[in-house]
Amino acid sequence: MANIELQEKIIALIEENLKLPAGTITPDTQIADVEEWGSLEHVMIIGELEQRLGVSIPLDDAFELTSMEELLEKAGCL
Amino acid sequence: MGEQGTGRRIALLSNVNMNAVIRTLQKDAEVYEAEGYGNELGILMNPASSYHVFASEITFLVIDLMELLEHELDEESAKVRVEDWFAGFENAMTPDGIYYISDVYLWGLEAETADALVSRTRLEGIWESELRELCRHHANVRILPYHHMVACLGEENAFSPKMWYMGRILLSGEAGKRLAALILQKVILESRTPKKVLALDLDNTLWGGLAGEHEHTPIVLSEEHTGLAYKNLQRVILQMQRQGVLLVIISKNNAEDAEKILQGHPHMVLRAEHFAAKRINWNAKNENLEEIAKELNLGLDSFVFWDDNPQERLLVQETLPMVTVPEFPDKPEELASAMTKIYGEYFQKAVLTAEDLDKTKQYADNEARGRLQRSVGSFEDYLEKLQIVITRVDAAEHLNRLADMLNKTNQFNLTTRRHDLSEVQSMVQDRGKRVFLYRVEDCFGDNGVVAAAIVDVTGEIPVIEEFVMSCRVMGKNIEQGIVSDVEESLRQEGFGRVRGIYISTAKNKPVADLYRQLGYREVAGQADFGAMGKVYEISLDKVPTRGFQGVIR
Repeated sequence: MANIELQEKIIALIEENLKLPAGTITPDTQIADVEEWGSLEHVMIIGELEQRLGVSIPLDDAFELTSMEELLEKAGCL
Repeated sequence: MGEQGTGRRIALLSNVNMNAVIRTLQKDAEVYEAEGYGNELGILMNPASSYHVFASEITFLVIDLMELLEHELDEESAKVRVEDWFAGFENAMTPDGIYYISDVYLWGLEAETADALVSRTRLEGIWESELRELCRHHANVRILPYHHMVACLGEENAFSPKMWYMGRILLSGEAGKRLAALILQKVILESRTPKKVLALDLDNTLWGGLAGEHEHTPIVLSEEHTGLAYKNLQRVILQMQRQGVLLVIISKNNAEDAEKILQGHPHMVLRAEHFAAKRINWNAKNENLEEIAKELNLGLDSFVFWDDNPQERLLVQETLPMVTVPEFPDKPEELASAMTKIYGEYFQKAVLTAEDLDKTKQYADNEARGRLQRSVGSFEDYLEKLQIVITRVDAAEHLNRLADMLNKTNQFNLTTRRHDLSEVQSMVQDRGKRVFLYRVEDCFGDNGVVAAAIVDVTGEIPVIEEFVMSCRVMGKNIEQGIVSDVEESLRQEGFGRVRGIYISTAKNKPVADLYRQLGYREVAGQADFGAMGKVYEISLDKVPTRGFQGVIR
């Protein structure tokens, strides 16, 4: 899968989980700025990325993420 | 709240993190926001907990067995932990709530090792047998089929190790959604009135092709291809029948052709005895439906009509709008699954009582009783030949049935006051009430538990507050035997008089004159029974001889 394609899928999955309209989340988004992105949602997103897209973000890193940029990097898109 | 929002208040308690499921449920119901997880019994036991303030009507307990066992997988210690949990639950539960407790799916990586795999079903079985035992003793506890849900989805899709490590969230997003759907389905089941009768067409419905044309084309019903699709449909319908759905045939055929298939076709799963009534003729189907409703003594609003012919469906929809008319699938391979959907949507009940399991036979027995009535001379001779035996049974052992009767009986119901299960349970336990419940048998078979009377004995004169009887045993003077039994029991307690109440409704006219016929006289009405209420009284010293023939024990 081309990285850009995977990136789009990741963003779509996150928007779906947070019930946000398409286009809300971008590679520049800071997690803290998204009100809907709480700790429960964060766990659900990491779990769904693995189960639905096969994207495994290492457990230790998963808690440290603060931005989409970091998330996409750990997911191997950047 | 969503469209199907049932207005019920529910709670989901667990020993693992279920916050995501709770959040999903909140779209459709009022859900208790648990404070954390793993203290499910503590929350139940503490009368001051926010759970009790919330006042949940239906409480779901989904328990992860591995967590409960704390990874101790030997059977002895598992037994102790599981028994402790159930003892704690039984101690904490109240009779006025409904509880769904999950069966379990033992999941954990050590359970994957070969040795543990062997004992896994046994460990789950320890939980399951305790759960079944609990349900036997408490009519308000039911099983939530969690294991089946996980099995359908598959372990690898249902559980997420990563989410577990991150936040003790056991279920994947998809599994969480399915659990929420399962819970909502149960909430809806608890709230709706199920249908009772499935009216079926024959040609191109129960089998493919047309009966009576066998010389040119035999009907399609076999062990292969399209014939198997029809046979599997019949298997689904037979299972529904065994669970209390009454089947009737409404079909345009030569009766002889259809009967030949019903009795003799080697691949028919459904046979004549599975049907409570039949109309195989060329009359309009709406007229046949009306006749059958009358014959079975059931309202047309409890009928579901299934026919492959869209014109027949339209006719029934137009002429009898209270009958439910589901769509019919285009492809035979979809027949069986369409029927399971119809079962879930219209017929499924929260709990099955012993009476449900035997319903068709009871109605079919009634037909035999009717034939006897025609073959003997007088009504008295008929009653004598019936050899009726009325047996008083312990109400505490038939709470669901008692609640069922109080809430669903319309015709032979003297007051039509509805009581939910918890009220019924407390009436049975109330020292100020006498609850009389009766089984009725005769020479054709067991009618089941079909009559109940509840007497309030707190005043100087006891009052028969509720008196209900199933319509299928009406017209045999059974009510006379029952009232005599109630009166005798009260007389033995030292009471000199008894009162009965009649509150008129649109449907209970058949019993409007009951107490007068039993020798009671009307006394000044009491305000608390409303404008439609009448009060009757009899002196227990002067109870008249009545026309009941049979034995009461």
